[in-house]
Amino acid sequence: MSKLVLRDVRKAYGATVALANGALELAEGEVHVLIGSNGSGKSTLCKIVAGSVRPDGGEVLLDGQPVTVSGPQASHALGIGIFYQELSLAAHRTVAENISLARLPVKGGLFVDRQRARTIAARYIAPFADVVGAGFSPDAEVGSLRADQRQLVEIMKTLASEAPVLIFDEPTSALDRAQVDRFFEELRRLRGEGRSIVFISHRMDEIFNIGDRVTVIRDGRTVATKTIAETNQAEVIAAMVGENREFAIPATSDEGAATGNELQAPDGAPQSEGESARPVALQVENLTGSGFADVSFSLHEGEILGFGGLHGQGQSAVLRALYGTDTTLSGTISLAGRQSEVSSPRRAIREGFGYVSGDRGRDGVISGRPILENVMPVHFVKSRRPLAVPSRLNEQAIPALSALRTKFATLMHPISSLSGGNQQKVVIARWLIDRPRVLLLDDPTKGIDLSTKTELFALIRELAAEGMAILLYSSEDAELLGNADRILVFNGGAISRELQGAARTRFNLYEAAYSAAERAAS
Amino acid sequence: MTQASFFPGGSQAARGLLARFPFMPALLILIALIVLNGVFEPNSLSYRAIRGLVSTYLALMLLAVAQTYVVYAADIDLSIGAILSLVNVSVIVLLDIFGGSPAMVLLACVAGVGIGALCGLVNGLVVAGLRLQAIVATFATSILFTGLALYVLPVAGTPAPAAFWRTYGGSFFGVPFVFAAAVVTAIVLYLLARARLITQLLAVGDDAQAAFQSGLPVTAIRIKGYVLCGVFAALAALCVTGDTASGDPLVGGKMVLNSVAAVVLGGTALSGGFGSVVGSVIGALIIGLISSLVFFVGTPSEWQNLVQGLAILIALMVGVLVGRKDKS
Ligand SMILES: Nc1ncnc2c1ncn2[C@@H]1O[C@H](COP(=O)(O)OP(=O)(O)OP(=O)(O)O)[C@@H](O)[C@H]1O
Ligand SMILES: [Mg+2]
Repeated sequence: MSKLVLRDVRKAYGATVALANGALELAEGEVHVLIGSNGSGKSTLCKIVAGSVRPDGGEVLLDGQPVTVSGPQASHALGIGIFYQELSLAAHRTVAENISLARLPVKGGLFVDRQRARTIAARYIAPFADVVGAGFSPDAEVGSLRADQRQLVEIMKTLASEAPVLIFDEPTSALDRAQVDRFFEELRRLRGEGRSIVFISHRMDEIFNIGDRVTVIRDGRTVATKTIAETNQAEVIAAMVGENREFAIPATSDEGAATGNELQAPDGAPQSEGESARPVALQVENLTGSGFADVSFSLHEGEILGFGGLHGQGQSAVLRALYGTDTTLSGTISLAGRQSEVSSPRRAIREGFGYVSGDRGRDGVISGRPILENVMPVHFVKSRRPLAVPSRLNEQAIPALSALRTKFATLMHPISSLSGGNQQKVVIARWLIDRPRVLLLDDPTKGIDLSTKTELFALIRELAAEGMAILLYSSEDAELLGNADRILVFNGGAISRELQGAARTRFNLYEAAYSAAERAAS
Repeated sequence: MTQASFFPGGSQAARGLLARFPFMPALLILIALIVLNGVFEPNSLSYRAIRGLVSTYLALMLLAVAQTYVVYAADIDLSIGAILSLVNVSVIVLLDIFGGSPAMVLLACVAGVGIGALCGLVNGLVVAGLRLQAIVATFATSILFTGLALYVLPVAGTPAPAAFWRTYGGSFFGVPFVFAAAVVTAIVLYLLARARLITQLLAVGDDAQAAFQSGLPVTAIRIKGYVLCGVFAALAALCVTGDTASGDPLVGGKMVLNSVAAVVLGGTALSGGFGSVVGSVIGALIIGLISSLVFFVGTPSEWQNLVQGLAILIALMVGVLVGRKDKS
């Protein structure tokens, strides 16, 4: 018998139909993958099961019994634990407090039993102990952690619910390879215990790696459920995009690396010949700051330079320093041969830098404000105009958003009404209106679905072809291998290796990242 | 495999310190003010003067504490002064009717705290239950509570029975009552800081949506915050009653924004989720010491408000600057 069954679940927000006919059959002891493009209704479906969104209609059955999930507390009482895509953490509380927030252990009926909270936390941190990275402890404040570390806290919090049904809504979007591997080990163990697990990800290789069955959801409707063994990537993608063939991506793209061509350089990777003939757009010399030291490299016009390596080895820190959000202690930054002082993002934008962060909750989205205001801030910094005509802004915003196929009702809807992936597209669209000379991409595709991702990278390559210089850091190796002309592998805050031309293979990238890490550890 | 750690700069320690003790900048300002007070009026550091300071500002300290608990949850209480007034006149009128025997005084105090809690409950129900904007809703209830206070005692002046103010101003076994009260308050605050409710209030203030999704009973927590606020406002009212020895239906009005200022000076974020009651107590003392300093340096009376306002602005600025330096 199925553990959890959803039938004809519906949810609309005004005129926007988030879920038209959601259905799911979750068996005991399986990892059930839910896949669909951005805004197809995956998170909505999860939130309905978790009780944080009330459905307009439909049936939820648990162990064959119809249930009403009236709220998150009710959902927990029913034995459902959930990982929220946008996380449900309190930034100023500690890791330990967050892990057991809903069920803080008390003594004397009133006081928080901190010692026990710490012990509980330690229990759930333990499986991840060697991949959590620096600065992570039960007493660390969650707000001071990196994006991937916060995501791990949310995972631990979900696991701490000890619920028989576990729902993970894009838990791996900011995790690196080693962290994902460890997480999957945990999932396999839990599946072995007979837990029922829903897993959402836009990364094809992960889905085929961990899933038992897959359910595809398109435009708010469940369209198919298959066992992973019976299906393949092309079929899943076809079901995701439906009739709309123009969205389809070639199955031979770099995403396919998981199914075979592990050791070869991917097709379609740009050619790096003659790169050095182009003028240098950005020259960084001996840059040192918090989290990195003595970093030097040059970036040519029209080049896509990748930053690789394990998480938190200084890649993001360098990008943030270039954008002026973090301070640098020494070193020089020259743009087109001229030394530039990037003391603040405002300065950096005017100097010609652009920055997209995958940590949109903290760095990207202006929460509570309309979509329009979220697309235009860079425009205001650059144009220096004190006044704006809304209709003219709309004219500029809409093409930028549709270039990324952003799904939204109107520009005046609050940004929070968008699905996670669509919020990220809004953040990227900013830089399409006023194009920077150097675009810094800090894990930019977090939460973006497969077909859009392909289009986004096509767009990025187009921008590069027009002469824009691009720095790309990605936690997904396929993105680096498929798009970067050169890859600088980071370790311990320094560049440990450069991969160029035919050396850009998955094998070399792992080898450089891991062996460098081992060397540093020993 | 271990991911290498690499964090030069060493600002980590300072940041940790500020995260654990958000009131650090306020404490520095307080010490500076004590020194300045001592320089301009050496007598201000005498035992008598300190006792006077505590008995005058204990009420504001408690009121700032009360405000802190709702600010933790990103709420605010503008009716806090009206609650104080209502409790003050209720206690006075009760004692006027039933006589001022020690037992009656005690009973009236208990009743006062009950009234404070009830007012807090009303605020909580209006703000969290009906989901009205805290700032506007508590502004409305403040008018309501003031109206009640004026009904209970239309004009200021009814004196408190001797048993009341003698206790507040007196000493037991050589220890002034106000000092004992301050110590008891400190112990209560220390224990409360460990209560589950406080962590929950902070989590709600941090991100109400996240707290709700985590399964916290957000509405109930916010209501409890307001009740706690009402109780501490009532305790502040008892101190005011002891200090002024009379009833005044408008006594709390001017203290509302002082309590908010004290909270902010103490390093608590008005946006919620972060702060400390210790900071608010220090903030209240800063406000008190600024008024006395303005007096000690001999500011002409027509300039006193202006100078006091400027001094509070400077204190706020210093707090922000010190905090920012620690954070970067
Ligand atoms: N609070 C809301 N108000 C209005 N519309 C909403 C709200 N929440 C979601 N929607 C809309 O419902 C649709 C489905 O959103 P949902 O978050 O479920 O998508 P998703 O499948 O999780 O996408 P992603 O892969 O980007 O996370 C989207 O079009 C979104 O704009
Ligand atoms: Mg989603």
